[in-house]
Amino acid sequence: MTRHTEDDGDAGDADGTTEPNGGRDGARGGGGCGDCGCGSPTPGVPEAGRDEQPSIFVPDEGEVPDSEAATAGGADRGADRAATDGGVESASSGTDSATGGTDSTELDPDAYDPVDVFPGGDLDLREGADSCYKCTSCDTSCPVAEVDDEFPGPKFQGPEQWRLKRKDDHDIDESITSCSNCMRCDDACPSSVPLSQMHNEARGQFVERQMEKLSVEYIRNRILANYRTSASLASMFPRTASFAMNFGPARWAMEKVMGIPKERDFPEFATETFREWWKARGGAQVENPDKRVAYFHGCYSNYNTPEVGKAMVRVYEHFGYEVMVPPQKCSGTPMFANGMLKDARRHAETNVENLVEAIGEGADVIASCTSCSMSLRQEYPELFDLHGIEDVAEHTFEALEYLRIHEDLEGELDAAGGLDDERAFAYHAPCHARNQGLSRQAVETFRDVDGVRMEDVGDSCSGISGTYGWKEEKYEKSMEIGAEMFEHMEDAEGEVGMTECPTCAMQMEHGTGYEIEHPLQLLEDTLGA
Amino acid sequence: MDRQVDVVVVGGGSTGCGVVRDLARRGLDTVLVEKGNLTHGTTGRMHGLLHSGGRYAVSDRKSAKECIEENMVLRDIAAHCVEETGGLFVKRPEDSEEYFQEKLEGCKACDIPVEVIDGEEARRREPYLARDVEKAIALPDGAVDPFRLCVSNAADAREHGARIETHAPVTDVLVEDGEVVGVEIEHETGPGKRVHREPGTTEEIRSRHVVNATGAWAGNVGEMAGVDVEVRPSKGVMTVMNTRQVDTVINRCRPKGDADIIVPHETACILGTTDEEVDDPEDYPEEDWEVDLMIETLSELVPALEDARTLRSFWGVRPLYEPPGTGTEDPTDITRDYFLLDHGDRDDLPGMTTIVGGKLTTYRMMAESISDHVCETLDHEATCDTADAPLPGSESEARMEELMDEFGLRSPVARRSGQRLGSRADDVLDEYDPNPIVCNCESVTRAEVQDAVGEAGSDLNAVRLRTRASMGNCQGGFCTHRIASELAEEYPEPVVRDAEDELYQERWKGQRHALWGEQLSQAMLNHMLHATTMNRDGDPANLDDEVDFGAFDAGADDGAADADGAGSAGTAATDGGRANDDAAADGDRANDDAAADGGR
Repeated sequence: MTRHTEDDGDAGDADGTTEPNGGRDGARGGGGCGDCGCGSPTPGVPEAGRDEQPSIFVPDEGEVPDSEAATAGGADRGADRAATDGGVESASSGTDSATGGTDSTELDPDAYDPVDVFPGGDLDLREGADSCYKCTSCDTSCPVAEVDDEFPGPKFQGPEQWRLKRKDDHDIDESITSCSNCMRCDDACPSSVPLSQMHNEARGQFVERQMEKLSVEYIRNRILANYRTSASLASMFPRTASFAMNFGPARWAMEKVMGIPKERDFPEFATETFREWWKARGGAQVENPDKRVAYFHGCYSNYNTPEVGKAMVRVYEHFGYEVMVPPQKCSGTPMFANGMLKDARRHAETNVENLVEAIGEGADVIASCTSCSMSLRQEYPELFDLHGIEDVAEHTFEALEYLRIHEDLEGELDAAGGLDDERAFAYHAPCHARNQGLSRQAVETFRDVDGVRMEDVGDSCSGISGTYGWKEEKYEKSMEIGAEMFEHMEDAEGEVGMTECPTCAMQMEHGTGYEIEHPLQLLEDTLGA
Repeated sequence: MDRQVDVVVVGGGSTGCGVVRDLARRGLDTVLVEKGNLTHGTTGRMHGLLHSGGRYAVSDRKSAKECIEENMVLRDIAAHCVEETGGLFVKRPEDSEEYFQEKLEGCKACDIPVEVIDGEEARRREPYLARDVEKAIALPDGAVDPFRLCVSNAADAREHGARIETHAPVTDVLVEDGEVVGVEIEHETGPGKRVHREPGTTEEIRSRHVVNATGAWAGNVGEMAGVDVEVRPSKGVMTVMNTRQVDTVINRCRPKGDADIIVPHETACILGTTDEEVDDPEDYPEEDWEVDLMIETLSELVPALEDARTLRSFWGVRPLYEPPGTGTEDPTDITRDYFLLDHGDRDDLPGMTTIVGGKLTTYRMMAESISDHVCETLDHEATCDTADAPLPGSESEARMEELMDEFGLRSPVARRSGQRLGSRADDVLDEYDPNPIVCNCESVTRAEVQDAVGEAGSDLNAVRLRTRASMGNCQGGFCTHRIASELAEEYPEPVVRDAEDELYQERWKGQRHALWGEQLSQAMLNHMLHATTMNRDGDPANLDDEVDFGAFDAGADDGAADADGAGSAGTAATDGGRANDDAAADGDRANDDAAADGGR
């Protein structure tokens, strides 16, 4: 074999593999719209786009009404408090909306979707394995597999495990709990295998059926997943909570009893939440029926970093947008990662209902957290069947992304003249931003701004992946994954970190001691908004 | 050499394997000879349906009754080969109501337990069924793995003293003084396990009786003995889907027709089939329209099939037979019953019996009846116990928890291994630690592959049939080399290469009929990976002659540098560092390394 022929072979093969792919996509697309006109989605088989997924998770009967009653009770108790803390509870209670998704089995026959009739609402995702060529791109892109030899990787967790299933097989391999749900595999797959959807569904089934509900691990995960609940409690006494949560002996006990690593610092709670600030401010200061956005601030901007939320409001108002802040709950990201699909669905009901209403009033949905936007855009329609959930997915954008699409950001920044005192940042793109194609947006936005130096610290994962790094048994792995990012941050000129993701920010701060900002804060500064 | 055995059974399909087991258990000294692997002929080329009898309940009640009886027997004695999927006969609006009722009556008359369910209930059980399916008859169809079934029968026979010779085609039937006295066989690679590159030998096996269980090939063996056996081979296509769209056997409830069954088989679904008479069971056209017909027609029952991935297609030949003079025109009308032809009575040639017709579900019953006949002929008194004695592997269920905990297998892997190995799982898996997965698509571990290698020699297709390794969606692209390297400890490199090539070719053969969409992409990826990482598009080590590297070398002026391999980095890079002629000539890998080092 000589180099000469090898080259020929390579070229030929390269052509060969791209061609059929293109042809296949083309053929699929054509087949989809051309055939029989019934327009029904292929059950369980995702097309190239991800927004026509069948819904899967329907909670068992009986559980939803319980929690609904609880939520409704909360709303009754504090009708006026609702406005300050998010006002969420009142919005969805009393109506039948909370079970809106579960009536899907009675849809008209034309929209009949086989997945709806699976017991317990589970989706049969075996068909998704059809797109997998075993190429292993997902495994090589998986940050957990890189540091954890025991973890079999996304290919096994996804298409392989699903293909090996039979209808009556209910056991899911425990290793699914080691997946951090960074979703890099989705991005890596050249063939649109619905990897994270498969992982989410498998994890949900594992937690639902195989995890001991009284185990420390389950309770710990449930608490971590329901961060919003803890945070809303802590916010009633923010200073005390910030102190108590990081109080040495308390942390020792938490590690021993709950498996929450004592090395981690709990984030501080703001003394005034974003929503309290919003209310005190008197709501929107710009009214503009033609340019409306509904801000999905998420839990972290509300309870921990209201400065990010404030920056969003000021920047958007600077561009003449009317900002709406609809009632909202957790986006579900930490719940998906812990297989708590019932919790996630409950929160999704509130979110979708309120966001659909805002969209009806002409607004697009803007998130400042890339995991929140990821969830609304991809996981919601993949996992839940709620009225309007596809509209929400289509109308959701990340804050900087939206401005870059609709505004002359470059021109405005140029006109504003930059910063007087030079500042340098070490920027890390979160995995969930990467999946939305946003990994370069901060660097591109600020690279020509005078007085700003922005360095990308590379494409590694920060390692925290939301709640993953908050588990004692995962802590070491989490730091091992993050090591590359820490090293690159140290090497970067800037002494301030920057990222869109709150938990990446925690990890960056934890690993380097840097202060971390959100691009919106810098945008606020550079625009003089 | 001239030792005479009691019986030679020709043909290693389900019938032959069943017969050799039965005779061995009755204490007769028996040899099974098969020209390929076990199941090489028709048995390995069926859709794996364990009939409830429903399919014959209208047209052929005798067969239907036999089916339901044997169906129940196999659930017991071959539990690890059978998946109790249940089956449905579904009725679409255009299918005749009259026939539906006839089917129902027929099933009841044959003691097949049935239940009529409406369309909604049918879709609840099988959500991918078409929305306009009106109703269905539910009955106890199942899926059976013919490979595992035959291998287990053969293994049990061997435990009872039988000899099993595969890759040993019969070249002659020995007739002396108007009597069959044995067969002459050719061992392709010598007797015993098949090992590539071992020289072939011939052997005469003299026996008191010969059983011709070669199915569609029965005429060929008959010819060697000088008798006419008019088998009417009829081909049928089967298409393998990548996943299980259904977990229940789905039959179309209509009188007869092509493409009317979907069988969930292991990780896949098999669509079947056609019924068309052919002249030669070895050589008949495999046509694409047959595959298209499967997918198109069966999409009427399960619409998802239309866009689903197909892995491959294969054709099988039914050994249909009817007594001379019946003259049935349409092969679908020929009876599925079996016939026992004693050539002493029939052709005045004692010493040989032929069995033709029949079907896999009733293989044990056929084996019992021919064994009875042989014992009677040989005046041997023994009773048949095959309806009660479980096959090796089916003595008890695999203990799933233990497989996971004790052997550290992940749950889907343990599940698959347990289903394939049955009660043998503990023994097989105990052998290897660490025990990595060799075939990811089907979750086959090294221990299972090694167990199969132990039985099958260097024949990786035989390993495949035993383990399902390479039968998943990559069709061997990511695992043939891994499976082959499991041979490396025991066999020299050229043997391993041949074995690998043979398996890879076999996998390719079936994929040729699925080259569109996903499987086309898969085939291209496989090709590219094998070409660029293993030189398999033209490996010098596989060439018979020395490689003329000079002919490829653009830098002709640097010929001298080539020879010493250290002269110029540029030249070394051009020919990949394989300067050493010896290395190319004997294909020895160790020398390759040396040459590569020299080149750098």
